[in-house]
Amino acid sequence: MLDELKIFLDPNTQWILFGSMLLGLCSGVIGSFAYLRKQSLMGDALSHAALPGVCIAFMLTGSKSVFFFLIGASIAGIIATFGIGFITRHTRIKQDSALAIVLTVFFGLGIVLLTEIQHSGTGNQSGLDKFLFGQAAALVLSDVLIMAVASIVLISVCILFFKEFKITSFDPGFASGMGFPVAFLEQMIMLLIVMAVVIGIQAVGVVLMSSLLVTPAVSARYWTEKLSVMVFLSGIFGALSGMAGTYISASGNNLPTGPIIVLAATVFFILSIIFAPRRGLLSKLLIHLLAKRSVKTSKVKIKGKERTV
Amino acid sequence: MNSPLNINDLSVAYQKKPVLRNITFDVPEGKLIGIVGPNGAGKSTLIKAALGLIPRLTGSVEIYGRPYRLQRKIIGYVPQRESVDWDFPTNALDVVMMGRYGHLGWIKRPGRAEKNFAMECLDKVGMADFAARQISQLSGGQQQRIFLARALAQDAKLYFMDEPFVGVDAATEKAIITLLNELKAEGKTVLVVHHDLATVKDYFDWVLLLNIELKAFGPTNIVFTPEKLQETYGGKLAMLENDNQSSLIIT
Amino acid sequence: MKKKFILTTFMLFLIISATTACSNANATKNNSDGIVNVTATIGMITDVVKEVGGEHVNAVGLMGSGVDPHLYKASQGDIKKLDQADVIFYNGLHLEGKMVEIFERMAKEKPTVAISDNIDRSTLRLGDEEMETEYDPHIWFNVAHWIKATESVRDSLIEYDPAHKEDYQENAANYLKQLEELDYEVKEKISTIPESGRVLVTAHDAFGYFGDAYGIKVMGLQGISTASEAGTKDLIELRDYLVDNKVKAVFIESSVPRKAIDAVIQGAGKKGHKVEIGGELFSDAMGEDGTPEGTYIGMIRHNVNTIVNALK
Repeated sequence: MLDELKIFLDPNTQWILFGSMLLGLCSGVIGSFAYLRKQSLMGDALSHAALPGVCIAFMLTGSKSVFFFLIGASIAGIIATFGIGFITRHTRIKQDSALAIVLTVFFGLGIVLLTEIQHSGTGNQSGLDKFLFGQAAALVLSDVLIMAVASIVLISVCILFFKEFKITSFDPGFASGMGFPVAFLEQMIMLLIVMAVVIGIQAVGVVLMSSLLVTPAVSARYWTEKLSVMVFLSGIFGALSGMAGTYISASGNNLPTGPIIVLAATVFFILSIIFAPRRGLLSKLLIHLLAKRSVKTSKVKIKGKERTV
Repeated sequence: MNSPLNINDLSVAYQKKPVLRNITFDVPEGKLIGIVGPNGAGKSTLIKAALGLIPRLTGSVEIYGRPYRLQRKIIGYVPQRESVDWDFPTNALDVVMMGRYGHLGWIKRPGRAEKNFAMECLDKVGMADFAARQISQLSGGQQQRIFLARALAQDAKLYFMDEPFVGVDAATEKAIITLLNELKAEGKTVLVVHHDLATVKDYFDWVLLLNIELKAFGPTNIVFTPEKLQETYGGKLAMLENDNQSSLIIT
Repeated sequence: MKKKFILTTFMLFLIISATTACSNANATKNNSDGIVNVTATIGMITDVVKEVGGEHVNAVGLMGSGVDPHLYKASQGDIKKLDQADVIFYNGLHLEGKMVEIFERMAKEKPTVAISDNIDRSTLRLGDEEMETEYDPHIWFNVAHWIKATESVRDSLIEYDPAHKEDYQENAANYLKQLEELDYEVKEKISTIPESGRVLVTAHDAFGYFGDAYGIKVMGLQGISTASEAGTKDLIELRDYLVDNKVKAVFIESSVPRKAIDAVIQGAGKKGHKVEIGGELFSDAMGEDGTPEGTYIGMIRHNVNTIVNALK
């Protein structure tokens, strides 16, 4: 056992581990709010929307610097959130359709740009297609530091504005009536989602990012009826997925880290569905069986008194 | 002396269709006021416009002489019950405490004082035992009471309630109206969008008859007449005379 | 009434687009000025075609410098270039992984030649299991294989355009001589690296043939194709190999992103072994047009010089 744990002393593994855990933590935390606001697809839309941002950043700067890519991804994400808001407010289109439209249009544009870049004569490969699926194994210390700063900001904002986020998500009409600037708070939540997406796409890529925003949150929902516990658990599940993903990827060959993290998160989800108390399948089955049995015994009692139910 | 609510020439439109037209009225303090009218009359819209939740075309809204934006802390609001996701991870007490958020302001967390106050409010609506219950496990009537307790927690001077009696059982209805009268006794003013014409006379001191335009506003015994009702509901009202009591049926 | 109008317009639109598409396909016929239009995929092949074909061919390449052929998806413009070609040359062995169906389609209309076809399969390296490549497609790194490829191009051109047979044979003979000299040159230079230091580490496994042919051990991070993603263990194993064997330098590639290699270097640094970037190698694509590295021979030479200088 000790031998296997030695893996975590390895420098590259440490970087990958911390990066993945931070990513899982952030996505879990902000993903809880997205999930409760029925905006889980938002994470998907924003991560797909990031692709043209990354491509345009490369086309404008010609640099392969991850910093510029992240800026491009952020700007694209922000434009996408405004686009979604605009469509829902000024047309008859509902949010889920608006999300789908923005997602596909942006991603399609991204693929066109990516293909353009792939065909171009620049002697340096951009590394952009790595943003599609991520390259978690290539995380280095500088990446981890950026992720750490972003995580601190994200989590601090969520803690500071916890009650504001809570009431905006639960009853925006009432919140507005009390004087809270609901639109501003909603935009803040969206911005935090953009931030989590931008941190995460380096590691797990555009296509898989949304799962990290959704799965830990949904898993956490099964275990508690308190929002604060749910957000906390969601972050923990996310971080644990990062840890498990790194560990498994470090144990065998040809196991790409990003997808394994996503699979780990899914395993937590399945375990939650089955084993959670009260909401879990096993629990419900038990309750059902116990209820059946108590009905049977009461039937017997009633029959004993010669009464039909 | 400023009135709790002064609305002057308020108009609201939804996609070019007028929903409220040139509404003007002045609310007296310490009364229970029912807002009635047919479907689509703009009753909910009136409340939402007064609170600034929807944009208005013309007119002004003043609460105790000042715009509503500045008076949030003395306003209480009970919205329609369906507007909430009842599967949200929160319990009854938590929801009631949300009524204190306005007083807490930004960032500050609710503490023991807020918790105690919220429990008192729960008690007033008879839901103290349900404090730790997750809200999806409450019945319709219980959920309505929670919303009411939340409004109480806002500790306001002027209350807006949007159809609080819809879909509640008789016991809850009785509890709600008892509570409203307690508020009145404390000098508070309550405006209630109400759907049941049969109970208007029993519940409300004043009544506002609305159908896009203001049809009547005043003390119930003066304004709540068959003629005024006919005006408000158009031809949709049938009256049954029965032993000196008129039963009203909306067709 | 309105519905009928929309339907009719839509049908008209469909008919017009269909006929336009058909006519486009028939528009390109062989031109009559005797020049053979050739379209090739990777630059190395385009280069060979120019050398062998000389003034009798108009050679067009699809993939320029810095382009990754494993992931390359043909655009409408590319299809047009393929349509207008009289002869098409491609590498085969699944290098142009996303264009297989296009080649099959083109083969029905014109000579579409995989220049690797005449290479004896027993001399080919085996490919990556998970990537569904039966053989390693990076054959150009063994000059001997490229000699065979040149012969394939020559023979195909002669078959299509027998009128200029002598020219093609002469051009090819010249070029083949240069290739043979190149092969010798590479062997010589590599042997100047002390045996213990003969390790070539890059981002992906493109240099397998190079290693086999010229006696140098080759290690890549990603598999044979850049389409795969490196796992944590793979990266750590490569890094540990570098540390344990005190490998001096690793190399980055022009068509593959360097992030993974950077991670390997930083990790090795943490473990106390300094690894340098020995230089940039051309793997799946040559250098820019007009530069010496923009030709096949120039590319190989550049690679060898870079490797030798860093590892000596």
